[in-house]
Amino acid sequence: MTTCTGCSLLCEDIELVLKTGAISEAKNLCRKGQGHFQALFTERTKPMIDGKEVTLDQAIAKAAEILKNARTPLLYGWSNSTLEAQTVGINLAKKIGAFIDDTSSFCEGLLMERILNGKIPTCTLDDVRNFADTSVFWGTDPSNSHPRHLSRFSYYPRGEKRQKSYEEERTCVVVDVRKSATAHLCSNYYFRVPPDGDAEFLESILTVLDGKIPKTGDKKRLIELGTILKKTEFGVIFPGPGMIYSMQDKMDLFEELVARLNEITTFKVIPMVGHYNMRGFNQLMLGQTGFINSVSFRGGAAGAATTHGPEQGVALAAKSSDAALIIGSDPLSALPFGTARALAHIPLIAIDPRRSLTTDAAQVVIPSALSGLEAGGTALRMDGTRISFEPITESERLSDEQILTRIMEAI
Amino acid sequence: MSVELKIVCFEDIFQYESGEKSRFSDEYRQLSAVILLDKQDMASLGVKDGDKVLVENEISKIVVAAKTTDDEPHAGLAFMINSVWSNQLLRDDLCNASVPRFKGITARVAPSQEEVTQISEIVQRLRA
Amino acid sequence: MVGAMEIYMLLPKTNCKKCGLPTCMAFAVGLLGREKKIDECPPLIEEKKYEAKLKKLHEVMAPLENASETGLIIHPEKCFGCGNCVVACPVNVAAEPTRCAVGLGPEGDKVILRVQDGVVLANNLKECRRFGPNKILCNACTATCPSKAIEFV
Ligand code: SF4
Ligand code: SF4
Ligand code: SF4
Ligand code: SF4
Repeated sequence: MTTCTGCSLLCEDIELVLKTGAISEAKNLCRKGQGHFQALFTERTKPMIDGKEVTLDQAIAKAAEILKNARTPLLYGWSNSTLEAQTVGINLAKKIGAFIDDTSSFCEGLLMERILNGKIPTCTLDDVRNFADTSVFWGTDPSNSHPRHLSRFSYYPRGEKRQKSYEEERTCVVVDVRKSATAHLCSNYYFRVPPDGDAEFLESILTVLDGKIPKTGDKKRLIELGTILKKTEFGVIFPGPGMIYSMQDKMDLFEELVARLNEITTFKVIPMVGHYNMRGFNQLMLGQTGFINSVSFRGGAAGAATTHGPEQGVALAAKSSDAALIIGSDPLSALPFGTARALAHIPLIAIDPRRSLTTDAAQVVIPSALSGLEAGGTALRMDGTRISFEPITESERLSDEQILTRIMEAI
Repeated sequence: MSVELKIVCFEDIFQYESGEKSRFSDEYRQLSAVILLDKQDMASLGVKDGDKVLVENEISKIVVAAKTTDDEPHAGLAFMINSVWSNQLLRDDLCNASVPRFKGITARVAPSQEEVTQISEIVQRLRA
Repeated sequence: MVGAMEIYMLLPKTNCKKCGLPTCMAFAVGLLGREKKIDECPPLIEEKKYEAKLKKLHEVMAPLENASETGLIIHPEKCFGCGNCVVACPVNVAAEPTRCAVGLGPEGDKVILRVQDGVVLANNLKECRRFGPNKILCNACTATCPSKAIEFV
């Protein structure tokens, strides 16, 4: 069995047969996972300095030199690395007094922080399968982003208390700005919100829960939604990027809604984490620094206080750093123009199994093994469940953990 | 003729799969460099499926292919798949809670005779 | 997917009964259900004036001819590989109560639907509830599919 690192569901029931040059058979792997593992055979990186192929040792030595000479280095990526690699990464950041951040500062961080600090109740996906009778997908389209979410946990499987499952015992609600593939599956309970309209929609739900008539929106349908939520035995809300970007600093209102729902019945929240181990990074950082992301260790191990805030997040840190190490991420293509542009103007060290816009622009490229296939380790699924996996094929490429350890030793 | 639109980004499994295999392929560009418009906005712009449009805001500009959605009417609102193309239009200034506004791009859309913006052009702009 | 009305429009619409059915509409329904074949309508085959219609009819019927005996058509190019159909299919659930029933991919080979290489694959179609003398109108796989990758004719 193989574990798929294609998204934060970390499916463990994958059967892969590898032949030289291709995956000859992949059972149970969804289209997204299939694409992810195909990366093993397309556009692999080679060790490079300034666009010229070098030995791995040379690339590692150069990376160490860049980081050592940088005054304000940034270490970014992490959500596609194992807990083991992240641990070394945080130590490296401490040692060299770097900024360290992951994709969550752009995305799920706002919600994840509240979950990890216990302000919003959560549960595991296995609880969802066994007990949930209402799932609310809010600002997310799992059919495209986490393809097996509905089949493994939230809608179609049978569970301990949900033997009749989707036929009789489960209801799915979708709140989104567009009628996504998932919304088509739950079309009876699809609620369209205008862009940035999530806060208002949420207030309307609070109103109907109080037995009052909402001021805005389709009153009849909102009352119907209120009834579904109230009748729920075990409900779970899955907020995705769409909801979080729209709510932003009004996240307290969401906390209020969840608290209100829990006065009536049981409601849990699981954030729709994208990358396979974003949650792992957030949890490790919280344990070590008290913050889930966006931290600066400036001052180094010598002990200057760690700082946290927007200035330590990648969007601003990219503009104040003089070098960056990017691991398992392609910020040049995935981040907004301004941040991508700032990163493209400083010396970059890119650790990645595969060619990307970032590896193309990097001064140093270090090829890494692909987690799940060529390297093992541990990661936290979106619900916090710890998943360990072994590599299924030998590779001469080093894992992220080994690469980071060697860079650290060389500094 | 041009219209001012809000653009919301979303994820698509086929485009994602293609990007995992290569960010530099023609297939990935064809799947990514697309803006989904409401019928009414297509009509006001006088474009049909596959026609090129220039999407421009204070951050940057790109040329992509226009396509009609089959969603319920949503004039004034357009959709783009998350990709390096849509990210060109994205602000990275922070809101109170330090989260950049990935959603809610506002841009002007107009018919264009130019070819779809190539990834090499985008890379040049990022490095310029 | 083509409907009975669309097929009807391509028939002679004379209700001549030579096909053994009372009306052209009944024949259209028969074609759709694959109980009848196009060449069972003699006027359509023999009379030159229906040539264009005949050609078009062959075109619209082509996808149906690829369908399995149960009428199941799979479009792998549309499939997400999400496994919804795998987990929802009652035959799969009965065959693998500890796997498909609880959301996992199947281990054995008794199931009808499975995901392989990122897309759905159908086997053992004779087990499908829509098949055989005791057939029922099961639609668990099509109703749970987010991408219309499975259809019945
Ligand atoms: S759902 Fe996610 S983890 Fe599971 S197979 Fe698909 S991509 Fe991989
Ligand atoms: S033989 Fe052809 S034309 Fe005559 S009734 Fe049947 S379908 Fe209609
Ligand atoms: S029709 Fe029913 S029994 Fe047949 S394959 Fe689909 S879900 Fe399974
Ligand atoms: S056929 Fe539909 S339900 Fe089945 S795996 Fe493919 S996309 Fe999912």
